[in-house]
Amino acid sequence: MRSPVTGVLWLYGLLLATTISEVCGDTKPNFMSVRKNVTKEYKSEREIPKEKYFHESDFGHHYDGRYANASLPDTEVISYLSDLIQTYFTTMNAIGGETWIMHGTLLAWWWNQKLFPWDDDLDVQISEPTIHFLAEYYNMTEHHFDLPNVDGGRTYMLEVNPNYIVKSERDTLNKIDARWIDMSSGLFIDITAVRKDEAKRLNGRPEALMCKDKHSYDESDIFPLRDSFFEGVPVKIPYAYTYILEEEYGPRALTRTNFYGYIFNEQTKIWESATRRSKRSL
Amino acid sequence: MTSPDDSYPRDFESNSAENDFHPTTTHHPSYSNQFAQNTRPLIDSARNGWQSRDTGGFQRGSSSVDDIKSPGWSQMALSVASAPRFRRCVMIYTALFIFVCIGWRMLSSRLQEQNSLLHSLDPTSKTERVGSFGANSLPQFDGLIQVHTLDPDLVPRDLVGVDAGKSSQKRLIIVGDVHGCKEELVQLLEKVSFNQKGGDHLIFVGDLINKGPDSPGVVDLARQLSASSVRGNHEDRILLLRQELAKTKSLVTPDDDEYSRFDPRELGQRALARSLSDEQARWLENCPVILNVGQVPGMGQVVVVHAGLVPGVELEKQDPSSVMTMRTIDLDTHVPSPKKKGMNWAKLFDKHQSKLYSSLETSTEDSHVNTMTVVYGHDAATSLSIRTFTKGLDSGCVKGGKLTALVIENGGKQSIVQVSCRDHLKE
Repeated sequence: MRSPVTGVLWLYGLLLATTISEVCGDTKPNFMSVRKNVTKEYKSEREIPKEKYFHESDFGHHYDGRYANASLPDTEVISYLSDLIQTYFTTMNAIGGETWIMHGTLLAWWWNQKLFPWDDDLDVQISEPTIHFLAEYYNMTEHHFDLPNVDGGRTYMLEVNPNYIVKSERDTLNKIDARWIDMSSGLFIDITAVRKDEAKRLNGRPEALMCKDKHSYDESDIFPLRDSFFEGVPVKIPYAYTYILEEEYGPRALTRTNFYGYIFNEQTKIWESATRRSKRSL
Repeated sequence: MTSPDDSYPRDFESNSAENDFHPTTTHHPSYSNQFAQNTRPLIDSARNGWQSRDTGGFQRGSSSVDDIKSPGWSQMALSVASAPRFRRCVMIYTALFIFVCIGWRMLSSRLQEQNSLLHSLDPTSKTERVGSFGANSLPQFDGLIQVHTLDPDLVPRDLVGVDAGKSSQKRLIIVGDVHGCKEELVQLLEKVSFNQKGGDHLIFVGDLINKGPDSPGVVDLARQLSASSVRGNHEDRILLLRQELAKTKSLVTPDDDEYSRFDPRELGQRALARSLSDEQARWLENCPVILNVGQVPGMGQVVVVHAGLVPGVELEKQDPSSVMTMRTIDLDTHVPSPKKKGMNWAKLFDKHQSKLYSSLETSTEDSHVNTMTVVYGHDAATSLSIRTFTKGLDSGCVKGGKLTALVIENGGKQSIVQVSCRDHLKE
């Protein structure tokens, strides 16, 4: 097995060498080099859009129908998702986008820093300056990765929902602000921006943050972010991760060792299929 | 048997004779006189206002029962209620009733709490609890040390060994949340006559910095005295923030727009992160989340953390974020939480260790060997909180409370030393 760190460096090197230069010519806008333009108060568009921007395919909730006609075989999904999250974080680390894992993905990280074998939903969040930065410099960019064990590699697209300028929770059709899409399979990561909640801030919660998917946080729950690893790549974790998980899923989500037919092996720290396990014991 | 109609006025009569008339002052003799010579016109007995009511009572006493039936009731009730002994009785019984009620409620809630603690620690209820906290593979964080073991040379010893030579007196001085209150820390060290060369070792329960007036000064003093400390939530936050500032190259000078982007609390934290020198930050980074002091004779294993520990989970498997922030614990799952509402983690931990202690008491000579005592801070709201196996030392120094030290001497002798603090948050 290759060590995670080598893997990361390898991906990182590839990214620098191949992807960015292809996409953006010779210049590589880094968040740090343009941050003077993006760190400001962000006004919200008042009008609520009537159309949904990102659609799910009719064959699977977590596939983008523009890039695939059918879902992947169950046995292959996890390795595709793993590549998806690795390439996303490698790209964001390289361009300096502030992003961290959240929701089910954070819970999976909490258990063993790996994906849940039963969950094809990946969730990450980004900061408000980062969504503006991505929209202005990286929207619709394609990023090619030569992946180990994948012939010809894969290309990923970063697509920003143009309704990201609408901050209101009432925009229920456009809760997702951006997607990182595997163009070979249609699988994608949902990216939601976390913004200052001006209304709550005026009502005595000076740290209030909000997302369009109606999750709300305090600044000190998420920041400062922690450095950790997920699927072998460096990722950021919200500051009060245990508290956030407990609030979202309840304390039992942190102790239950059987979910959806999988049992957590406390020795190997791996989620094992309960059916396979019982067969073996027979 | 007498009818109620019959008995009441009579009762009343004797009652009023006993209660009302006796305590009255100088006129009393003339009254009993009148009572004897019932034949005199009643008008003669009227002296002045205050007497008129009492004489009324007499009149009724001498008239027929049927006559006074209806006015007697209300008069009687009034009179009984105004009788000093009755009032005294009512007051005493009411007080007693309230006392018993409160007592019962307190007792039953205590019993309930004890029951739920015992149930929560019962190994057979573990299956009901759908697993327990600490089964996951603990994530690794950059620049965060989980456990560090204290040099055994610094730990107090057995009394038996000490008698041989006085020089081997060892003391551990464990100090609560300082929060940059250097003056108070200096006073406290004077009060305990801290003497590093004489075998004293200083340990902090974390939160040395932030909020108070001189955080870098406290860090320098701690380094100068070769103290140990654990990582508190404030060190954790400031160190992470400092890393972030270093990465975004704004560690030296603040961004132009910083004042508009952050609230005063965040600005304070950023300023503190910048004011720490690299050496100070490195020293703080080397403070572990958990400091294992090791076996102290008479106390068992002593462990220092900032906020708390989940009972029954190995030190290496304790979730670092929770160790630095917990206040309460879920009784079903033993998942800790920073929330204030709920079961205090220390109560559960103390119960867990007491159970362990009593189960070991008969089997080994020193039953303390297998128990663990946790010294912690963080919870200024509960203030000083000393139990057998948990010692909460945060007594709110920075907000004008006290700065507390737990002194552990040879043989496990413990004492609490405190100094008063100025309210630095108001200034």
